Amino acid sequence: MTIDSAVSAPLRSMPAASPRARAKGKGRATTAIAHLVMVILSIFCLFPVYWMVVSSLRPPNEIYDTSLWPTGASLDNYAYALKAIPIVRMLGNTLVVSTVVTIAQLITGLLAAYAFARWRFRGDKFVYTLVALTWLVPFQVVMIPDYLLVSNLGLLDSLSALILPHLAGALAILMLAQAMRSFPREVIEAARMDGARSWRILWEVIMPNLRGTIASLAILVFISTWNEYFWPLLLSRSPENSVIQIGIQMFMTSEGTAWGPLMAASTMASLPILFIYIVLQRQVVQSFMKSGIR
Amino acid sequence: MAYLSLKHLKKRYEGKQVLHGVDIDIAHRAFVVIVGPSGCGKSTLLRMIAGLEEVSEGSIALDGREIAGLDPADRGCAMVFQNYALYPHMTVRENIGYPLKLAGMPREERVRKVEEAARILDLGDYLDRRPAQLSGGQRQRVAMGRAIVREPKLFLFDEPLSNLDAKLRVTMRIEIKRLHRRLDATSIFVTHDQVEAMTLADLLVVMNAGRVEQIGTPTEIYGRPASTFVAGFLGAPAMNLIPAQAIDGQVRLDGAADIAFDLAAAAWGRVTLGIRPEDIELSPEGTPVKVDLVEELGGSRIAYAVLAGQEISIVLPRGATAMAGDILRIDLPKAALHLFDGDTGRRIEWSVPQALVA
Repeated sequence: MTIDSAVSAPLRSMPAASPRARAKGKGRATTAIAHLVMVILSIFCLFPVYWMVVSSLRPPNEIYDTSLWPTGASLDNYAYALKAIPIVRMLGNTLVVSTVVTIAQLITGLLAAYAFARWRFRGDKFVYTLVALTWLVPFQVVMIPDYLLVSNLGLLDSLSALILPHLAGALAILMLAQAMRSFPREVIEAARMDGARSWRILWEVIMPNLRGTIASLAILVFISTWNEYFWPLLLSRSPENSVIQIGIQMFMTSEGTAWGPLMAASTMASLPILFIYIVLQRQVVQSFMKSGIR
Repeated sequence: MAYLSLKHLKKRYEGKQVLHGVDIDIAHRAFVVIVGPSGCGKSTLLRMIAGLEEVSEGSIALDGREIAGLDPADRGCAMVFQNYALYPHMTVRENIGYPLKLAGMPREERVRKVEEAARILDLGDYLDRRPAQLSGGQRQRVAMGRAIVREPKLFLFDEPLSNLDAKLRVTMRIEIKRLHRRLDATSIFVTHDQVEAMTLADLLVVMNAGRVEQIGTPTEIYGRPASTFVAGFLGAPAMNLIPAQAIDGQVRLDGAADIAFDLAAAAWGRVTLGIRPEDIELSPEGTPVKVDLVEELGGSRIAYAVLAGQEISIVLPRGATAMAGDILRIDLPKAALHLFDGDTGRRIEWSVPQALVA
């Protein structure tokens, strides 16, 4: 009996198995192609970064070399870059500006988003649309008025001027308002019954549940502030009050571009961002997966 | 004087009237159940008492104080929501203690109260878990814990059991009733489930289309429904409602003129005759009806048959058997008949004509 079933089982399953096996093979091929495409795309994304790091290690005479790894790799460019401009000071400035802007945008964003998501007032939709529209207006349009504003305030060549126009951001308000709208209404009502007013509902009930959204928003704002070039370029006069993106540009002079030190400075400028992304990566992915809480 | 008094309560949403003047008086320590089909305004009514919906017109007085304009937090009501509405980021302990924290209660007292509530609700082992780690029944108990720690003047339940499975629903129902008694609380419970309504209520309020259809004890309402709506809504299977004509002190069924009852009705003309399926008797001299379908419920059997062109249900007495196609002889005992106005659907009181009694 046992022998019988042992023999017949594979026989019986054979005709059924072959189309399935074919389907499986096809699925594997699709997966392989998909992976291949992703690998190629990631090479496209990562290669410039790799090239930046490699170029920063090349001696000046090899700078236009196309070998994948320099023959005489050295940190000379870093030493030169650190001496030529106050990189540490500039990184510090950038950090201060980015951190303050991020925190400010989160605070103003949370407050504004709560108002838009929870309160009905005259013209609420109109104001919300206006906020959304400011997101569509390119910076170049408001650049001159902004410049005049900070200049009249006597803030040219100061970090405050870099921060001021970014204290509130449309992206932060829209993203947080959207997240708050999908927050369960009953939980907020329960908090109202429990005796919480708007202030506590926002900070003690809603905010802790929006951590995913807040984290990804913070990363977005931080990175975009960190990488900002145009606005600091308009305002900065002295290297001590400049951000790192301006510092990098200082290696491009009328006498030519010092590619090695420029790449070294660029590498140093991107390290903090890389670090932040690695630390908060899980939060970012989580926020996209959850998109609202249960 | 009533403990909670609702007077001419009306609600309009953007010009659409959803509550058409509700008057209810509730005694202290009563367990009131508001029941009705979905969209009848029962949840809106509860939310108006809670302060989560504005009152368009009318007044709400709780314990002698007008509360209609007050903030939800200042009304002295606690609410248990259908979806539990627990704070996802807080542990069970923090969830239950949150209203006390908001009230500014000192920490030691808070801890004591939370533990007491947890003990009552059998949540002691779960105090450090988050809502996501709890089952539906446990979450509902946490929601109740959060309500009881505040020692509110009034408990409001908004369909709290409808997300639970059938077995748990029965257990939680009994727990809620027990808790109500233990706390000497006054509770208002909204549901669309008639079994919950009948079993829980001291006072039952039946609502339909933004109006109160009937208020009374479950027995009163079941025994003397005020309208065809109430008659059809409460009871499973529902009361049989058969169109009829009242002429010369007699009520004749529309489809069968030979079936007539001597009822001295106050009104003449079109009426609806009602009889509960369990009040129909089998008798050898009764009217013959053909059985269409039999539902086996284990403890009892329901036969569906056609009487006077109208499908009726009959609860068969224990031991009686019937199969589809059988002929049953049934008798509608006069004492069990209900009479309703054919147009308005309101109940008509009737009495046996004097001449016949003599």
